[in-house]
Amino acid sequence: MATSRPSGIESQIPRNALALLMVAQAAVVAPHAMQLSPWIIVVCFVCGCWRTLVYQGRWAFPSRAVKAALVVCGSVGVVLSSSGGFSLEAFVSLLVLAFGFKLVEMKSRRDAYVVIFMAYFVVAAEFLFDQSLFVAVYEFVAVIIVTAAMVGLNQMRTRVRPMASARLALSLMMQALPLTVVLFLFFPRVMPLWSVPVPGNTPIGLQEEIEPGDLTGLTQSDAVAFRVVFDDGPPPFYRELYWRGVVYNQFENGRWRMAPPQFGADIHLGTAEQGAYEVMLEPTAQNWLYGLAVPTQFDNRARLTRDMRLITEDPVLSVTRYRLSSAPGARFGLALSEAERALETHLPDVDENPRLAAFARDLYRREGDEQRFAQALLEHIRAEPYAYTLKPPALGEGARLDAFWFDTRSGFCAHYASAFVYAMRSVGIPARMVGGYLGGEINPLSDHIVVRQYDAHAWAEVWLEGQGWQRFDPTGAVAPERVEQGLAAALSSQDRLSLSALTNARFGEQGLVGRLLYMFDSVDHNWNMFVVGFDGGVQEQFLSRWLGDLTPARVGLTMLVLGALCLGLTGGILFLRRRPKSRHPAVRLYERFVARAARLGLQRQAGETPGAFVRRAGLNAGVESALIEQLAQQLEAALYDPDAADDSDAVRAGLRRLALRMTFATR
Amino acid sequence: MSEGVISDRFGQWLERRIPPSSSITLNQANVFIFPTKVGFGFGAFIGLLIIGAINYQASLVFGLAFLLGAMFLVTILYTFRNLSGLRLELAGARPGFVGEDIEFSVRVVRPSGRGREGVQLGWPGGIPQWAEIIDTEADVVRLFVRASQRGWLEPGRLLVETYYPLGLLRAWTWVDLNARALVYPKPIFEELPKFSTGKRDEGVLIDPLGSEDFTDIKAYAQGDPIKHVLWRSYARSDGRDLQVKRFTSYQEPRLWLRFDDVPGGTEERLQRLTGYALTACRQDREFGLDMGMSRVRIAPGVGEAHLEDVLRELALYGY
Repeated sequence: MATSRPSGIESQIPRNALALLMVAQAAVVAPHAMQLSPWIIVVCFVCGCWRTLVYQGRWAFPSRAVKAALVVCGSVGVVLSSSGGFSLEAFVSLLVLAFGFKLVEMKSRRDAYVVIFMAYFVVAAEFLFDQSLFVAVYEFVAVIIVTAAMVGLNQMRTRVRPMASARLALSLMMQALPLTVVLFLFFPRVMPLWSVPVPGNTPIGLQEEIEPGDLTGLTQSDAVAFRVVFDDGPPPFYRELYWRGVVYNQFENGRWRMAPPQFGADIHLGTAEQGAYEVMLEPTAQNWLYGLAVPTQFDNRARLTRDMRLITEDPVLSVTRYRLSSAPGARFGLALSEAERALETHLPDVDENPRLAAFARDLYRREGDEQRFAQALLEHIRAEPYAYTLKPPALGEGARLDAFWFDTRSGFCAHYASAFVYAMRSVGIPARMVGGYLGGEINPLSDHIVVRQYDAHAWAEVWLEGQGWQRFDPTGAVAPERVEQGLAAALSSQDRLSLSALTNARFGEQGLVGRLLYMFDSVDHNWNMFVVGFDGGVQEQFLSRWLGDLTPARVGLTMLVLGALCLGLTGGILFLRRRPKSRHPAVRLYERFVARAARLGLQRQAGETPGAFVRRAGLNAGVESALIEQLAQQLEAALYDPDAADDSDAVRAGLRRLALRMTFATR
Repeated sequence: MSEGVISDRFGQWLERRIPPSSSITLNQANVFIFPTKVGFGFGAFIGLLIIGAINYQASLVFGLAFLLGAMFLVTILYTFRNLSGLRLELAGARPGFVGEDIEFSVRVVRPSGRGREGVQLGWPGGIPQWAEIIDTEADVVRLFVRASQRGWLEPGRLLVETYYPLGLLRAWTWVDLNARALVYPKPIFEELPKFSTGKRDEGVLIDPLGSEDFTDIKAYAQGDPIKHVLWRSYARSDGRDLQVKRFTSYQEPRLWLRFDDVPGGTEERLQRLTGYALTACRQDREFGLDMGMSRVRIAPGVGEAHLEDVLRELALYGY
């Protein structure tokens, strides 16, 4: 006698599940079109169509050779289309391709489960690129469809009602939500265990190296760079918001580059005031954080370099929430080592921009002192017909700063900062370019500052004896509006035309559109703050506010109790949900009697009419037949005769007496 | 323990936990629940997601992992609820012959309200069947068990299981509905024996198909053999009067199937006797059973009920 597990037809995929799987596949793959090469998405959809044709019997399953060829071609394709190295995109491309291929060759329920797990994985992979609220809501729906396919796998094959499966999946998810929240809040968040492939296409933002023209590209984007919440409300002055991120201390072939980090910052706080704030940094795939000068207290995930940059061990791959305190008035870097001086005054051995260098030497000789020389340079920019524009003219090859300073005389912030630093260095004054963002926009709905990519800015820092590093912003000389009020005020109407409509709407600020944009921004901000930005640090803060001392036992116990509560609640909903009440009182009386009789050991038989059941019950309990006949007739009349007088009181009393007699009879 | 087979110790424990009864209602006391292989895979998969979430510090990947984990836990309730409250009763068992699939029918009744999906019933060794109680409140599931020997077939405990809704968990129970069915010996069909020609006075069976002695003439009735039609008288009466000649066969009317008179070993004899009984019944002959040593005698008779008595005796010989 062999035990036969479901085999043959039982191991096939029900039609319902197959249809849902196809929909689920389209749903989970579609958002990846944003990050992956289009051909991967196309291949995946073709696979879906193929499997549908197989189901319809118009095409065959791929043979072993075809499968092998597909896998080889797919892998080679991924290698060719990924820009070198094993990036996250390559990894996800492989996953999505494997998902498509598995779908085609899927035959048994086991295969279907593999495909379903992969679908969940594809959803998770999308979150590595985008964790916005919109994507989260979309993926929630996608997960419901995938789960519905799993439900379909366990339904009878005669049952083809995908909407019913989806409804069940939806209620499963909804009932799982409270428990999910508990796990989300209490499950310990630990630091990364090992380093992982990072996205090859870094998000838009400042890079490790820039050329003066690079920043104009960023102005085309209104993507959020980060949002900031100040503990004591936003500072009143726009020009104080110089968000430092990168320090470019090396100049070569017209490009600025970061030097390797040196540690051991020296800060002279003096009487400077400190302000604390929290930053929600969007993923940059770079390992630096943004903050105001001069950071005095910061997250333990970051380290402060000697040039006042905050750098992290791992690149920022997801929205990262960190707290900072800054003292804008503090001085730093008062003592300059020989090595530092060499680094910060270094120019290429071959003078790339001889005219600018000669100009600087000449001016320096006339002014005689670093401070006055710097002011004179700014004055020169202010006095001469320099222009601030998003579309600077091309500078040709070589001696670009010369061409900018003397010929075209129009540029963006990085042009001015580059030329300024070059001029400083050519007379031996330590100077460097700083990259980051300037300003930001206050969202009046939630009082946070949102800094967008078009706020990208570059300025200069000059080392002055006795004062340390001081900020000089040559852009303020050519376009004071930029520094005082932001980009919108500084741009010509022609420049504004080149920006996207949405950016211009943001600049407009007033009106319904502006308010709507503020609302979206607020929702996004709260999402980032409480969900996406919820990491180990925030968790600790949050939990210690509610639990006090965070011992593992206390956290674990709370999680268990709350989790059990959630499950208990769901169980209550599932098991104690009232049966639909019968409308008719006589039906209710009769049902109650049947239930009571069942408890007394008398089961109603299938097909037994109420009258027959009552007569049988009466006979068993030894009730006089005249009485029982009367009750049976009353009951049947109440149940079935719409014209009968309302006798439900008599029926209730009669049934109660009968039940009583039955109770005695069973004793 | 492999699925579908009960080990001895587990069987003893079950006997105490879920005592045999012809009707049983499922509840938390008699339903077991455990993750399936797929369920364990799903757990491992969630672990993988959490590791990914840690390494990428991606809150929403954590969120997804927790959502799936919570769903797993909630499914426990769903899977258990799918069996809870079901009442199982033995609705009947049909006797059969060795080598046949014996039919047992089990009635599955659900409480009013929500329909139940994906409930499977099966005896160990049988093919599991679905109970269709989604839209209806009760269903009679026919389950077949291959009979390998004569006597009482006791299929043992009935496995009631469900993987609904996600297949990650299996809720199941083994119920003993006291099911048993009679299995008759596998018949060997042969010519009826000519033995024991009886005395005339023990009754005469008129065999309309007999051909030995002419008896009388009667009016034609449908089914009478054409070769007995009196064509001559038919022609004389101008085609109005169709008559047939009747012949009778006098035969030993009472057939005694005697255990001792049949060749072969015990089982073979039983099989032959079964074959005789079936043939005799089909031929409407009166037959009796004499089991010799065991002193069981069934007086000659005809009809299905008589046949059942005889077969029952043959099935239970030596029990």
